[in-house]
Amino acid sequence: MALYEGIALIQEKQAVVLDLGSEYTKFGFTGEAAPRCIVRSEFWSPGLRGYKRVFDYKDDEELYDNLVHMLHLLYFRHVLVNPKERRVVVVESLLTPTRFRETLAKVLFTHYEVSGVAWADSGRLCALTLGAPAALVLEVGAREAEVCAVIHGCVVLRSLQAAPRGALRVRTELARLLAEDGAPALTDHVLEDIMVKTCLVTTRERAQQWASDSPPTPAKSVRYPLAGAGRGRGGPGGAVTVEGRARELSAEPLFAEDGEYCSLQDLLLQCIMQSPIDCRRALAENILVCGGGAALPGLRSRLREELAHALTEPPYCDRLHLTSLKFHSAPAHANSVAWLGGAAAGGGGAGAGRRGPAGGDARAGGRDAWLRARRLKDWVCLLDNTPPDHPAREHHLI
Amino acid sequence: MIPQVDSHYCANCLENMPSSEARLKKNRCSSCFDCPSCFHTLSTRATLAQPRPAPEAGGGDAKVENKQPKKMYYLSCFNCRWTSRDVGIPDQPVASGGWPERSAPHAARVSQLLEHYRAVAQQEKQDKLERERKKFAIRGKYITLTDKTGLTGAVARSIAGLGDAGAGAALAGFAPAVPKEDVEGLPEDAFTKEVNLKQITSMPQRLASPEWQPVSVSRLHPLAKLLSVKRSQRCRACDHNLTKPEYNPGSIKFKIELLAYYHVPEVKIISCEMIKPGAKSTLLLKLANPTGHEMALQLLPAAPPPPPPHGETEAATEDKDDSIEKSLDKSLKLDKEPRWPHVEPPAILTRVTPPAVTLTLAPRDDAAEYDDDARHEPSHIILWRKSNKLALRLELTTDPAAVEGSPARTALTVEYSYRNTVPQSITASQNRDHTLYTTVYLDLGTVGSAGL
Repeated sequence: MALYEGIALIQEKQAVVLDLGSEYTKFGFTGEAAPRCIVRSEFWSPGLRGYKRVFDYKDDEELYDNLVHMLHLLYFRHVLVNPKERRVVVVESLLTPTRFRETLAKVLFTHYEVSGVAWADSGRLCALTLGAPAALVLEVGAREAEVCAVIHGCVVLRSLQAAPRGALRVRTELARLLAEDGAPALTDHVLEDIMVKTCLVTTRERAQQWASDSPPTPAKSVRYPLAGAGRGRGGPGGAVTVEGRARELSAEPLFAEDGEYCSLQDLLLQCIMQSPIDCRRALAENILVCGGGAALPGLRSRLREELAHALTEPPYCDRLHLTSLKFHSAPAHANSVAWLGGAAAGGGGAGAGRRGPAGGDARAGGRDAWLRARRLKDWVCLLDNTPPDHPAREHHLI
Repeated sequence: MIPQVDSHYCANCLENMPSSEARLKKNRCSSCFDCPSCFHTLSTRATLAQPRPAPEAGGGDAKVENKQPKKMYYLSCFNCRWTSRDVGIPDQPVASGGWPERSAPHAARVSQLLEHYRAVAQQEKQDKLERERKKFAIRGKYITLTDKTGLTGAVARSIAGLGDAGAGAALAGFAPAVPKEDVEGLPEDAFTKEVNLKQITSMPQRLASPEWQPVSVSRLHPLAKLLSVKRSQRCRACDHNLTKPEYNPGSIKFKIELLAYYHVPEVKIISCEMIKPGAKSTLLLKLANPTGHEMALQLLPAAPPPPPPHGETEAATEDKDDSIEKSLDKSLKLDKEPRWPHVEPPAILTRVTPPAVTLTLAPRDDAAEYDDDARHEPSHIILWRKSNKLALRLELTTDPAAVEGSPARTALTVEYSYRNTVPQSITASQNRDHTLYTTVYLDLGTVGSAGL
């Protein structure tokens, strides 16, 4: 098998899959089970004498420079291949700003001279890793949580849901809780480390107890040593005590109901409610929770409890009659599920310039096509989403 | 410039690896490892292990042989004291290589998925071909056998048992993922157990091995060292190699090194009087000829270069200082949009009055470096001359509208003769001498106040 693959590789250059997240970037080859590298989306900037995040930009010029540096880092430090004449599968959110996409295309096509770029939305790619005909994909990213219903490889755009309930929300809540307990201001990296090592998503029952007057026995508190702060020996200055309350409650904002249907369970149920009626049951039985934020221990079971409870209450109890909720587990770690989908789509012969296997990837484009048009196809643009038999096309209005 | 991957090598053992082999090994060195805990390079340590005599050891000869202590090797980190014994990796009898490899947890399922999608893509392609064939099927004048018997190509193939059996089987054999009612919750003791921070991995430790992403320290495995690459650089316009490193990873020399530093005259500022709005000031410049040929120089007011006389392509490069890093960095920025307008040149308010003489620079001579005496020339422009360098006195006129405190910049175009030493084809030999133009932007500090 290895030899056979080797021959196939000689014939055609293996495409790369790029998933540029706001916190972590996943980069690797198609046809592989895991990305080659998962690195922070930042690069060393000699001008700033520090690391610069790719998503810190004021205008297109700066974003262009950021992306050039970031991709250089990925290509020549981590994956070690020539970007030229190699296809790229870009995993993106359906809600990626047009400006970002266009600039990324400009970087890839003009600076790195890649031969083709396939733009694939992450929701559909996540569903691709399951092979199931219908899937309800909840992606908990760093900034946002997105829910989309994918039916036979097509996203139900009408029911797309998104809210700023991501891992960063958990981090800010953790910072707030720690500050309440009198901890000094901590850097983002330390907060992330505390979150990863100590935080958990508590059960619904305990969350309600915390909200009431009789809080439960909190989880054990943790003394978290701070690097470089341990000068005063024996003193408590060198460590932060993470109380059990902070450990348990820092993920609560993800599930907090605020009347705007923005909690995770509301996003999922709203998405089901706005999907076609004949696939709602299938969606509820094919839930996939992924994204880096979903790696918090206990998040899925809490989500399940919250969903079951929300279904018994208005506005869902009289509109959704779902009997069972079933969850998928993807064949990858939570943070690289969308990447794996991209690798599968690209490895399955659905590279740039060709039709994808699932649902016909009309958004794939070659370099020459881009150089001619200087724009990307986008689902929100009337040029691309007007049906071919629409009267406006006949009158050459579009 | 386009950077390119030239050769793969391991930064630790300085061993080259052919690119095909590197690809098979996923760009990782087979003998060097990084510490999974602190990412320092692991070193191999040897111990003497007394092999336990087997309980039913037979003859005396075997016993004597067994008594011999055997050298066993394990990996250890000198920085954080992590060893491969911590995670239960057995010691190895050989010093390098032979460390157990783990298979990725989801590899089987992923390869199933890939096969499935490959089959789907193949099926689609076949369907498309079939459709096209039907569209362009030429109806002959005569009734064919297939028309008569209703035996079409597809039917015939299916009767013969051919067709897309492979793809079909792969499609049929694929089982979509099965959802489950229950999800893994928190462990029972989540709220009562003490958290031992030393047992939980941090994010960088997890992400260093994307396939496994271990949560507990006991699951950390040594990371095979990631290879590094040597890069060569090519011109974007003509695809020529500009720099190419030597293949040997221990060497830092270049096989090909065509940097502007060696071809474009060097312009350095010696000193400059304070720039004042509406006043004249003096600027001292040093020019140096880096090439091995005599160079004729003329300073012109900053202007776009005249069109090339014989249709030869000339690239006007811009460099502020001729330091290599700066020009490299700058060209990175300029080259990024090869077909779009360049960065706007900075506004010039200070003008140079260029002398209308042609200066001649002697060829570079390494031996002349040791001559001390600079020759003073009886000229009001040239201050001194020393082998391939000369110092110039120029007059600057500043616009009265210049704002005090704003950066004072000036520009001038250097016209210089250049002899192409790269041997070209025989027919092009008569065209070895070129006249090239370079616009130099000089940053002369800030504009001072007029009263001073």
